[in-house]
Amino acid sequence: MPLSLRKKSRKLKNNSKGFSSVIGTTFMVLVMIFLGTSVFLWTLSQNTLYNEAVRTRNQEETDRLSEGVIALGGNYSVSEDSVTVLAILKNAGSVTAKLTNLWVIDTNQSKYTYEPVNLNLNPGDIEPVSCTVTIPNTHANNTFVSWFVTARGNTVPLERELEEGVVVAEVAQGIGYLAMDFDKFKYFEYASAYGLKDFPTGSGGYNVPAAEHVAFGVKLTNYDPSGRKRSLTLNSHSLIWMYFPTIGKKVVWQIVSVDVNGTVQPTYSPTTLAYQETATVYFASASDGSFSGTNDKVKPGSGGPAAINLLLLGTIGSDEYGQNIPFVSVYCS
Amino acid sequence: MDLRKVWKLLRGRRAVSAAISNVILTGAVIAVSFVVLTWTQYRSSAYNEEYSEVMNADIARLKERLAFEYVFYNQSESKLLVYLMNCGTINDTTVKTVYVTTDIGEVKEVFSDINLMDFSDVEIADQDLDKGEEGYFVLSSLILNPDSYSVRVVTGRGSTFDHAFVA
Repeated sequence: MPLSLRKKSRKLKNNSKGFSSVIGTTFMVLVMIFLGTSVFLWTLSQNTLYNEAVRTRNQEETDRLSEGVIALGGNYSVSEDSVTVLAILKNAGSVTAKLTNLWVIDTNQSKYTYEPVNLNLNPGDIEPVSCTVTIPNTHANNTFVSWFVTARGNTVPLERELEEGVVVAEVAQGIGYLAMDFDKFKYFEYASAYGLKDFPTGSGGYNVPAAEHVAFGVKLTNYDPSGRKRSLTLNSHSLIWMYFPTIGKKVVWQIVSVDVNGTVQPTYSPTTLAYQETATVYFASASDGSFSGTNDKVKPGSGGPAAINLLLLGTIGSDEYGQNIPFVSVYCS
Repeated sequence: MDLRKVWKLLRGRRAVSAAISNVILTGAVIAVSFVVLTWTQYRSSAYNEEYSEVMNADIARLKERLAFEYVFYNQSESKLLVYLMNCGTINDTTVKTVYVTTDIGEVKEVFSDINLMDFSDVEIADQDLDKGEEGYFVLSSLILNPDSYSVRVVTGRGSTFDHAFVA
């Protein structure tokens, strides 16, 4: 150690006048370091906790946004005060989803209700759902809106099976309010004076016996594309007419009422199809509005190809209705 | 021990006062330092506690989330029904205040006496929504024109949730 430093050190040791100041300063510095460090570490740990909470919240938000449940093919059917909601739920998202409630609103009455669902969907799962809720004084022609609520707080609106544009496309095959199901076109032979044979199955309608008395069954659906969801009633003038282009002959079958046993009723009761309702309509009689058994039975009477047209008349809502549905061909032999 | 030195120390008083004063000063400094240490520790502890409370409240607020399942305004009875679900990750979410505002943000009504009911129309005993719990409240005597409005729910922890509706 150099001489001057040794001197200073000895002087410091011998002179105790500044000793308390040194102790005080050292103490204070230690206190400052200790407290500063502890507060800093504490703040750091708290900030870490907060950041962790923020990160968790962000993850939840990401999961919530990734939830992609779709409710398709929605359909409502009403029976008295009960509304049955049919839907196909598809989880198109990347996270599992839990559906808790289905809310159904009758917008005509401003009434609403909900039904617990409690359904879990993995990504890619497709699940049909049927829920029945009670809405007092509801009606099939009312407008319903519904949505599912997920446990993450998202809502999944139910998309109707037949939106207006789809209805127009569906009706294109029938050109008008009623659509005919080609697959279900069939004819019946008679088992008795009034009874139809093999009812309600009948026979495939495209090869028809020419020499037998037959009746036709046609499946029709009311797709009223106006958006007003009106019921459609067919009056007694509705008929099927068959035209043989090679010989220029036409044959007519008037609309009739048939009971559940396949018995043609003597008097026709107007057939009403509610909006989106599908029903089989029968044509059997030679007379308008009545059927007297043997005298009113009709047969094609000729062989060869024939075109069949549905000539439908009646009312839709409070308006008059008339429609001619072509395109069916049969072969009589 | 050299008794002569002790005797000399006792008899020679000139340096005694300096030694005593040094001892007293050092002792005083140490005592004051401990007092300062204790005080600063108390203050830092209070600060830590305060900071912790603020931080915990912030974290709790972050965990809160309310989903509006349905908001329905009954025009004939002048009441608004708000159906909620606690889809957050924290229990005991209370509804402290509800504001009904117009679509331009003008406050129409403020409700602070909120009575939470469950979906079976039974009053919720603890008046809060736990995780996944559903409930609704009714805002009565609320006259609204057929227009667009917003309902703002303020929870007891201070979170706010908004939902627009048409009266």
